[in-house]
Parts: sequence; structure tokens; C-alpha cells
Amino acid sequence: MIEFDVRTTDDGIGVVAPRGRLNMVAARQLRETLTGLVEGGTRRIVVDLAGTTFLDSSALGALVAGLKTARQAGGDLRIARPTESVMTVFRLTNMDKVLRARDDVESAFDV
Amino acid sequence: MSEGREAVDVFEAPVEPESLDLVQDRLETLWSHDESVSAADRIRFEMALVEIVGNIVEHAFELDADARGRLLTVALTLGPDQIEAVLSDNGLPAAIDLESATMPGEEATSGRGLALAVAAVDEVGYERVEGRNHWRLVCRRNAD
Repeated sequence: MIEFDVRTTDDGIGVVAPRGRLNMVAARQLRETLTGLVEGGTRRIVVDLAGTTFLDSSALGALVAGLKTARQAGGDLRIARPTESVMTVFRLTNMDKVLRARDDVESAFDV
Repeated sequence: MSEGREAVDVFEAPVEPESLDLVQDRLETLWSHDESVSAADRIRFEMALVEIVGNIVEHAFELDADARGRLLTVALTLGPDQIEAVLSDNGLPAAIDLESATMPGEEATSGRGLALAVAAVDEVGYERVEGRNHWRLVCRRNAD
């Protein structure tokens, strides 16, 4: 099971924090959450992965889809604080350059 | 677990996305039999297992196939030298070539599963035997 915390910062950045396992079931939810934010006008999104214990290829696909949607709307999607398990997936799929891990949520859009 | 012994868990699961959580729960229980399995080995084995089960859920049956007739058997074996999973289902033959399972480009939103499984563990095998699909995953344990 997974829960998503969604909030918006004072700067208008959407922060999505999935807690638990991001597998095929949760990937659909993640994709809808990210699309919903962009459609609602939140074009800058940080996915906070500190509480994500596991992430599979379908969830990775949802992140890529969210990244594309945000960029098409003139924004961006960034990831912060991935666990070792999640970083392993990014590395094995060569996505660690595209989804460059940021050290914290607050500064994810600073550079 | 005493030296040289194996921990084995065999179970059936319905072929549906929700079974991924069941498989991951059972794997977590399996790990508790042997604290010495490294974090890196746990991560790569779980990753490959989830990708293959996900592949079966997505591709082994026609979308309109009767859910009650879809069966997946999972056998997990945790030994002193390696961790193994054997998955067997009664779905359609998988039209795959593991040799050519390559990672798609960074723009792709799907198609990374098998390549990820192949990259994560030491062996990924598939064969069709007597109307069933059989997948075998082997992760040779590393010291750290």
C-alpha cells in the first residue's frame, strides 16, 4: 500500500511525497497525481522520495510522463532525497542524469 | 538460519497488479530468515522479481481473460550462496527475447522492465513448457 502526501509551497511548487512502495498499482496513481497538478496550474513539481521504499519501472515511467507533462507546460519536475533502492533503479536504467537527485525538497528548484 | 540451509516459500497468487504487494510481503518475510543477506542483494533481487511479476500481470493474459483462471505460482529459495525465484503461469506464451532486452531512451514511459530485471540479477531465464510459462531468476549473493 502507498500513500501520497501532496502539498504546495509558498512559492507555488507542488510537492508529492509517496510513502511506501511505488509499484504497478501505485504508478497509475502517481501519474494521475502529477498530471492533475500540472492541469491545475502547478507546473513546478518536486517528488520527494525520502519515504519511497521501492520503485519499479512502471513508477519510473510515471515520473518520466510527469516530467514531460510539466515541461510541456513550461515547468519542470525534480526528484529529491531518493533512497538507495530507488537510486539503484535510476542508475540501472540510465535515468540518473535525467532525474538528477536533489538533496532536499526546499532547494530542488534553486539551480 | 543455520549454515548451508535453505529457506523456501512457495505460494500461488492471482495474476493481477495487487499481487505485487503480496509477492513483496512474502519476500520481506523470507529475508527475515537470514539477516546476512546484503542490502544490495535484497534490492536487486526484489527489483527483478517485481519486474517479472509485473510483466506476467501485463502480458500473460488477454485483457478479457477470466480472472479466476489466471494462476501464478511463485517459489522463492534463499540459500547460502544464491537467491532464486521460479515463477510459473498458465498464460499466453511470452514473445520475448531476453538477449535483446535493451533499455529504451530516456523519453520512454514504458518498456524498461525486462531490461531492468536482466541488469539487476545474474540470471534471468524463460521457457515455455507444457503450456506454461516458466521464469527463473538467480541472484548470486555478494558479501556486501
